[in-house]
Order: sequence, then structure tokens, then C-alpha cells
Amino acid sequence: MDGSQSNDRNPNPNPRGNNGNSITSSTPVWPTIDGPLGLTEDDSLSYARKFYQFGFALLPFLWAVNCFYFWPVLRHSASFPRIRHYVLGSAVGFAVFTVVLLSWALTFAIGGEHLFGSVWDKLVMYNVAERLGLTGWS
Amino acid sequence: MAQNQRPASILDTLGEEIVRIITPVSICMLMVVILVSILSLDDSSSSSAMPTIATIAYSETGSDSSWDKFMGALLNSLVFVAVVTAVTFILVLLFYLRCTKFLKIYLGFSAFVVLAFMGGEIALFLFEKFSFPIDCVTFLVILYNFAVVGVLAVFISKMAILVTQAYLVVIGMLVAYWFTLLPEWTTWVLLVAMALYDLAAVLLPVGPLRLLVELAISRDEDIPALVYEARPVAHHDSGSRDGVVRRRVWSERRNVLHDSGGDVNSNAILSGNAGSNLNSGVVLSVASGHNDTRLAGAEEGRVVEANAELSAPLIDRRMNDNMHRQEEDDTSENLLLEGIGLGSTGAIKLGLGDFIFYSVLVGRAAMYDFMTVYACYLAIVAGLGVTLMLLAFYQKALPALPVSIMLGVLFYLLTRLLLEVFVVQCSMNLVMF
Repeated sequence: MDGSQSNDRNPNPNPRGNNGNSITSSTPVWPTIDGPLGLTEDDSLSYARKFYQFGFALLPFLWAVNCFYFWPVLRHSASFPRIRHYVLGSAVGFAVFTVVLLSWALTFAIGGEHLFGSVWDKLVMYNVAERLGLTGWS
Repeated sequence: MAQNQRPASILDTLGEEIVRIITPVSICMLMVVILVSILSLDDSSSSSAMPTIATIAYSETGSDSSWDKFMGALLNSLVFVAVVTAVTFILVLLFYLRCTKFLKIYLGFSAFVVLAFMGGEIALFLFEKFSFPIDCVTFLVILYNFAVVGVLAVFISKMAILVTQAYLVVIGMLVAYWFTLLPEWTTWVLLVAMALYDLAAVLLPVGPLRLLVELAISRDEDIPALVYEARPVAHHDSGSRDGVVRRRVWSERRNVLHDSGGDVNSNAILSGNAGSNLNSGVVLSVASGHNDTRLAGAEEGRVVEANAELSAPLIDRRMNDNMHRQEEDDTSENLLLEGIGLGSTGAIKLGLGDFIFYSVLVGRAAMYDFMTVYACYLAIVAGLGVTLMLLAFYQKALPALPVSIMLGVLFYLLTRLLLEVFVVQCSMNLVMF
């Protein structure tokens, strides 16, 4: 009774939630981390795709948010194949970007003057801020 | 089969709702107190002339007498409140002329300015203070990411709830920190003035915020503004099993609206089915004809939870603009919502202006001593509790500033003048603490 009511009420019936892998693993009905407060599957697809595409504008944080938002998609490996494609891509992109950025930042921070010489002083942020007068705004 | 359910006590439902709104307020206040204590400048250097709108009439110097400082602060606050009133009236006008798109774009723009410029400056202060060896490339990339995702979180109606809430708290924290940089007397008088303005603007029939809310209700639209909405609490009635969903029809709200015009106390009844989230949105949009605004409004506020049956009165939301930029003069308005209301799910909505002014009060108290911080924090939370009770009682939008700010200022004065002497004397004589 409950099942039929919810299917009948739900304008976007989600077959993946009801058949398929429901015996072996619990496939989530809602692809977002917010569950019933979040998006439906079709909306999720467009959101995941847009987040993935926008992330290429040098926005790895957006990829991270994408992975966070669609965490149920990542966790349950057999669900939502179309969304999963984008979320996996975002996860890979975020990982790659983080590795690159972190290695550069750590090299800069740890290497310091020994590695870079005088360029270090020119690149480090607090000097740049001082030079450009960003913090002495009063 | 035996039902072994405890009847949901009032702690579970009401307590949970209150906790869900007090937690972000506390986090915001805590972060502002931490920032203030880390970055605190001496009093003499902080009152160097910063040309802001709040100090346009009078810049406080260290050598004026108390009366002069008080009059100057009063003048500043009057100017500030006048500007805020004017801007809010402009906002009402724009909303009346249905420039919702412009308002949304402006909202995103101001969020970007706060996150990128203010956030960047505060980060720079911190890096300078700790001599943190970050290079400009990394810094710019991180700041850019932070700001753009923040704008998206504010703009997009269906972003992850946690991300949106986190960004709203961060925006509140950043703006509050900048307010604490104002001179001392000006800050305190400004707080009191804003509390009085809030009271007037929401409750008086001619107040701009009340007009705005009534407009929004009569059109059944959402005001584009920065509002923190707590996650709705799932109520488990003792008579329901886990799968049973109780739902009511959404349409009653519209009927009541049409009948009674701008009647504030019309009821919005929600359907409890998780799947009908989209359904109710669709019903509203088809019926009303305002397609994009309605769908945005439906998505934003009308989230629905499984197993919930909530009968929540219609929202009145209020709005307030605050002008407070120092360097970036043109980008000087935020669409901040002040005041407290009930979302259509019954989840509590608190305007970002309230976050900001509470945090300003506590931040200013932190500039004196931590004793005042504790006292003001307790006062503000008590005031917020009182406001929530009044909200449950009156079921319309209420100004969230007056009670808390008045209690906070009172406790600050009492602590500073009376309690401190007492505590210090006791500690020095090893009597207590």
C-alpha cells in the first residue's frame, strides 16, 4: 500500500530503486546526499553534468562538491550509471588537481629560499600583499 | 507486532529544531570571536579613519570626551539606519516592479564580493600574522575556487544543503568581522539602532520589511535573499510505521491566499511524501503561471520530508539591506534577510543579518575580555530562544534582533561594570574561580 502510494505520487518513478540490485545491495533511491530533500534523478543528471563541465574552468573545488553532493552514487557502485560517469570524472579530476597543486605548494613552502632563491620572496603571498598594498587598506 | 516506540517528546522535535538554528549561530559567533582575538589590533590603531558609511558623520578619535563620542556614534548610527531604510525601500520598489532577475544577480555579485575580497583580505591578515609561506598562485587559485563555489551555493536553489549552510555562515562571519572594525561607541550604538530599526521595519504597517513580505505573500513568490534555512526535522508520530506517509494536499495554501489577499496567517500544509517534492513544485508552477520564479521558489523553500506531517503557517520573510563596504564602494549592498520566520516545511529560517549582528555583538565583547563574551553569548542565545517561542506563538515573521541585542547589550554593560569588578576581586583574594 505504501509502495503503490509512493510510486503513484512520485512523478519520476525510479525503477533502479525497486528492481535490479535491490536483493544484493541496497540501492539508494535518491542520488544526492540530502536524500529526499535533494534532487530527483533527472535533475541530478543535469546538475552532475553541469558541475563536471564547469569544473574545467579551473574549479577543482566544484568537482569536490560534486563528489560530496552525489556521494550515494559513488558509494553504491551499481546505481545511477549515467550520473556515476560524471561524478567519477569529477573525483578523478579533483584528485589529479589536488596532487598537482599540493606538490607545487609544498615545494614552495618547504623549499623556500634554498630552492628558489630570490624569486621566493617575490612570490610569497604576504610580500605580494604588502607590495600591492592589499592589506594596508586603511 | 508490538510497537515499541517512545512517544516523541518535546525534546526530540522542538529541541532538535532549536538546536539546528542555534548551532550555526554559535559557530558563526565562535569564528568571529576567534578571528577577533587572533587579529585584534590595539584600540588606537583600529580607530584610524576608515571611510565607511557607518563612520561618515563622525570618526572617533581616542581623545574625545565620552559625551562627544556618544553623540558622534549616535550621528553615525542615524546615518547608517537612514541609508539602510532607503535601500530597503528601493528593494521593495524593485521587487514590486518584478525585477527578480536583477535582484538575484545582485545577490550573487555581493556574495562574490564578500567571499573574494573580504575573505581574501582576512586570509591575508591571517597569513601575515602567522607568516604562512603560501605563494600567490596557490592563494589565488584557492580563493577563486572558494568564491565561485560560494556564489553557486547562494545562487543555485538546490545545492547540497550542508554546502549552502556552510557558505552562509562564512559570509555572515566575514561581514561581521568587518563590522567589528568600526570604532567602539559607534558599534554599540549602531547595534541598538539596528535593533530598533528592525522592530519598526517588521512590525509597523508602513515598515519596508513588512511591505516586502506582504508583497511576497500576495504574489506567492520568494524574495531572493540570503537566508539561512535549517534542515527540517522529521517528526515521527507514535501512530505511524516507518513506511507510512501521511500527506495532505498542497493546494489549500493558494486558495487561502486568493481569498484573503495578503493575510499573513494563512496556512501552508505540506504533503509528507518524499516523492511529492517535485510534484508540489509542479502544481504550484502550473497553477500560478509564474514559471521560473515559482519553480525557483518551490524548489528553494518547499522541501518535503518523508514521514512528516507539518502544518506550518505561511512564511513572512523580511529583508534588510546593509551597506558597509570600505574599499569597494559600489558593491556595497547585500541582500540580507533579517528576522526569523518559518519555512514552508516548518523549518526555521533566520536571516543572515541576524547572524551578522549577533556576531558583531559577541566580537565586540571579545575585544574587551572573554568574560563579556560568555555573558553576551548566553544573552543572545536566550534572546533567540525567546524569539523562537514568540515565533511559535504568533506564527508570523518577527524581528530576531531586538530581544537578543537588547539582552546582549545589557549583559555586556552589567558584566563590564559590575561583574568584572566582583570576579577580579574574588580571584585576587582567592575566594572563587
